[in-house]
Formats: sequence, structure tokens, C-alpha cells
Amino acid sequence: MSGWDGFLHGLSLAAQPDVLIYCVFGVLLGTFVGVLPGIGAMATISLLLPITYYLSPEAALVMLAGVYYGSQYGGAVASILLRLPGTPQSAVTTLDGYPLAQQGRAGVALFTSMISSFSGSMIGIFVLIVLSGALARAAIAFGAAEYAAMMILGLVAASTVGAKHPAKGLAMVVLGLILGCVGTDVNSGVQRFTFGQTELMDGVNLVALAMGLFGVAEVIANIRVAERTGVPPRVALRELLPSRSELRRIPFPALRGASLGSFFGALPGTGSTISSFLAYAVERRVSRHPEQFGTGAIEGVAGPEAANNAAAISAFVPTLALGIPGDPIMALMLGALVIHGVQPGPLMLEARPDMFWGLIASFGIGNVLLLILNLPLIGIWVSMLRIPFRWLYPAILIFVCLGVYSVRGSSFDMFAVALIGLIGYALSFARFNPALLLLGFVLGPLIETNLRRALLIARGDPMVFLQRPIAAAFMVVAAGLIVMSLVQVIRRQSNRAV
Amino acid sequence: MKRDIPDLAGGVLLAAIGLFVTFYAVGHYEIGSLRRMGPGFFPAFLGGVLAALGVMIALPALGRQGEAIRIAWKECLAVLAALLVFAAGLNQVGLVLVTLASVLIATLAAPDCRIGWRIALAVIVTILSVAVFSFGLKMTVPLWPGR
Repeated sequence: MSGWDGFLHGLSLAAQPDVLIYCVFGVLLGTFVGVLPGIGAMATISLLLPITYYLSPEAALVMLAGVYYGSQYGGAVASILLRLPGTPQSAVTTLDGYPLAQQGRAGVALFTSMISSFSGSMIGIFVLIVLSGALARAAIAFGAAEYAAMMILGLVAASTVGAKHPAKGLAMVVLGLILGCVGTDVNSGVQRFTFGQTELMDGVNLVALAMGLFGVAEVIANIRVAERTGVPPRVALRELLPSRSELRRIPFPALRGASLGSFFGALPGTGSTISSFLAYAVERRVSRHPEQFGTGAIEGVAGPEAANNAAAISAFVPTLALGIPGDPIMALMLGALVIHGVQPGPLMLEARPDMFWGLIASFGIGNVLLLILNLPLIGIWVSMLRIPFRWLYPAILIFVCLGVYSVRGSSFDMFAVALIGLIGYALSFARFNPALLLLGFVLGPLIETNLRRALLIARGDPMVFLQRPIAAAFMVVAAGLIVMSLVQVIRRQSNRAV
Repeated sequence: MKRDIPDLAGGVLLAAIGLFVTFYAVGHYEIGSLRRMGPGFFPAFLGGVLAALGVMIALPALGRQGEAIRIAWKECLAVLAALLVFAAGLNQVGLVLVTLASVLIATLAAPDCRIGWRIALAVIVTILSVAVFSFGLKMTVPLWPGR
């Protein structure tokens, strides 16, 4: 099935009422948690993960993906109105969105972010259709060495690109890889690091890990912080429409941002947050009035918002085509697919075309829904910002417990969530990123299996990773990233010493 | 004496975990060779890498001033107590009572101190959780003590 036939076929599947309803639910919930500072897409998707056991795989994935790209829309609202990013991806939007709001142009900033988000998503979907098919075909030639090298590159890139403390990022990834070793070793049947606990034989529970790190730890950290958000201004519907001269400043920045976002989103390890920062830098560079940036430039909202939405969509390229998640949210998506017995990868397109195209088509439907719903509902989303966090977090905690219990009726898992939550909270003090731990955890078993297989085929010769050209390219880039970040850290330290 | 305590403690702890993993893997599982890796190979290797990274994080922290950290003790304790009570009590006293108790404990951390609000919230969350999980998702979970 070619790309466009597949997409049309997917549309007919995704438009079925029993899938569509979860798409609507997903994008609305995503916008809601994106708007609210204090709960993110990561925590919400972990919370929903156990519930997806009760849904069909199509509905489950469509819903979880909807939460993800929906949150990208919502994230801008708090950024613009309160200078408080609802999601990390929309942190850049505060730079020009908030000044616009202070000048009474909040409506225009919101409109710009919505329309740019939409165009970014649409371009992302186009890239996803074109790239994932091609990549899946190319990836059939990939052997174990290529897979292992690519995943190693993904992990290195995720922890070093744009990171202030690459060693901390790498440490979290490695800790995640170690956690991924817990349980029965597939090759030998040996119980590793279970310490006699039968509950650990299947490994650390992904749902418990994700909920502890993101649900519980975020609740603890946000109870006090989220109370001090301030009161957002009211935004009327007619204030949304920009003037003609303002409208003209949207398309090109949005287009540039979307191209940038689609590219970096599809690369393993560089996600939507980095894309939005890059898009902002590009807009300031190409602008004829760079001095306007930071004081309310429309371009400074349009570029980054298009970029983070495009990246959120194109992040599905490596996840679906190769079965390798490029960022932590995709790691959760991969987990959800595997829970439902769908193995993403080059063969998924052949084996489960309905799933593949249905999901992609649902992105199109979901984004159109977001555009249609969000503009009229903007007043409601803004008023959501007035909900105090203390009304929400007790319910979040109870849902965390029940969610993890529902997976296999185990009290052990609920105690594990409490412990993991405590660890997650402790990690935040030294600015360790728990998302990288989760990425390592999901990729760990995949890396180990492919590493062992590659070396077995090569008769134990580690040079196999340098002799095969594609694997070698991945390894060289990964090594380059590590060297670059080392240089950066050493330079920063010598600057301080001077 | 300047110390970045969070980085120092984090680095040392990671290094300790790494060393433990390596020694435990070497001691308990077969390492094998590069050609035929045993179950201990990958974790033993990872433990070594983690230990090295931990040292890399801890060493520079010795000579610099860290940011002051503020631990949200009250919030942390209330949340953990709520979770532990829920985990321990769910099968003993049933969903309804355990949810009420956990929400009341969790709200101890909330800045709003009115008791009426706490009880109202506990009742609402209980109704929600019973509706969603017990009736909606048909989860097998006791609602009341002693079934």
C-alpha cells in the first residue's frame, strides 16, 4: 500500500465512532493537562497506560497520541498568559508570548500559537507519511548491529544534545538500562536482580515506574509551586483575530519552524523541546527586526509553536518504522504498543497496516479537531488556569494507585510506586532527568538483545560495529556527541577558573 | 568549605549503585565472552559505566557552591503516607474507606486548611474512583471491608 492510499484507508478506520471518541477524549485531555502547569503529557500518559488494557489497541494508541500532541497545543496557553510553561516544549513561547499578553494582545498570541501548532502538525504528518514508509523499507536491511548502534546513538543524543550536564543525563540512561535488566534474562532464563521477589520476575513494571517518576514525584514537587500561579487575564473570542499586518507575519515563521521541527523530531534523541529553541533562534536570526524579539514578536510565537508540534508528530517516524523510540514519551508509546502485542518496526507496516495507517490518520483528524475546538473553547481553557492544584492532586494520587493495581492486581506494585515516587523526587534535587531513565529502561532489553546477537554473529569481534557502514556511522556520531559535550564541559569549567 | 551537596550525594550514590551492580553481577551470574555473553555481562558492564559517571558527577561538585535545596517535607510525607495507606488498606477495608482515608491524608499537605473542603474533596474523589474503576472499567476490587 503506498503512502496516500494508506492514509486514506487509515482515515476510514480512524473515523469509526469507537476510535473517534477516544481521539476526541485524548486531544481534549491533552489540551487540558497541557494548559495546567504541574501535570504534563508524560504523567498523563503514564496514568492512562493501565486503562488502555481495557481498550482495543487502535483506540488506546489513538488516545495516548492525542494526549501527546494535544498537550503541545495547551502548553502555549499558560506560557502566554502567565509566563509559566504548561509543558517544557512551550518554554520558549514565554519569551514573546508573555510580552504580547502584557500589551493586551494575549488573544493574538493565542491565535498565532494555535494556527502555527496546526500547520506544524500538518507538515509533521506529511513528513511522517513520506519518511516512515521509506525508512521502514530501508530498515529491512538493518541487522542486529545497526539496531544496537542506532539505539546507542539515540540514548547518547537524548542525554547530551543541548544538555547542561551530559554526565547526569548519561548516568540516568545507564541507570535505566540497569533497571531494564531486572527480571528473567531472555537468553538464559536466569533471574537477574530479583532478590527472590516473584513480583520482579517479569521485570520492573513499566506502569509503576512511569507513574512513580512522573505522577507521584511531580505531585510532590508541585503542591506548593502550582499554588502561586497568579490569575490569568480573561480572553474574549473576538480578541483572537490578528490584524492583517500581524497575520502576514505568521506563515513563513510557521513554515520554517515546522520544517525544523519535522527534521529534528524524526532524529533519535532530539525532541520537540530542542526544536522549539532552535526555531526561536532561527527566527531571530532571519528577522529584519531582531530587536523586537523578547518584547512581543509574533514570529517568536509562531516559529517555536510550529516546531514543537511538527516534532511531536515526526517523533513517531523512528518509533513506528524502526521500533526505536527517540524520546521518553515515545518510549511510553512503544510500551503501550507492546502491551497490546503490536511489535513496532519495519515489519509493522506489512503485518499491521490498519494499526499503522489508522494511527497516522488519527493525527490528521485529531489536529483538525484541536483547531476547530480550541479556538471557540479558548475562554474555557483559560479559565482552567484558575483551578487550584490542591483540587486535583489527591485524585491524581488515587488514580495512580488504582491504575497500577489494575494492571495485575498486585499490592507490591502500589508500594513500588510510592518508593519510585520518592526516588523520583530525590532525583530532582540534583537535576537528574527521570525521563532519560525511562528511555533507558524501555530500550535496555532491546539493546542487550541486539548487542548479544550482533556479537554472536560476528564471532565476538566488537569491530563489527565499525565495519558495517551504517552501524559505523551511528557509532561515530554517538562518539562525536560525547566528545563534543566533554569539550563543552571542560571549557565551561576553565572559564570559571579564570 | 564549598560543596555542591546534591551533586556530591547523587554522584556518590550512583557510583555506589554501579559498583554494587557490577560486583553482584560478577558474583552471581555467568559473564561469558564477547561472543557468547552470559546474563551477567551487560549488567556488569553497565555497573562499571555508571560508577565512572557517578565519579565524574561527584568530583567537580567538591569545589563549588551548590544551590540551596528546599525539600518539601510536609508534601512529601503526606503524599507518601497517602500512597502507603492506600496500598496497605485496599484489600483490607475496601476501595471506599481506603480512598476516603488516603485523600484526607493527602490533603494534609494542601495550603487550604478548612476541614469541610477536605471532606468534600474526599467524598468527590471516592465517588469518582468507584465510578471509573469499579463500575466503568469493571475492575475486581473489594468496595467494603470483608467483601
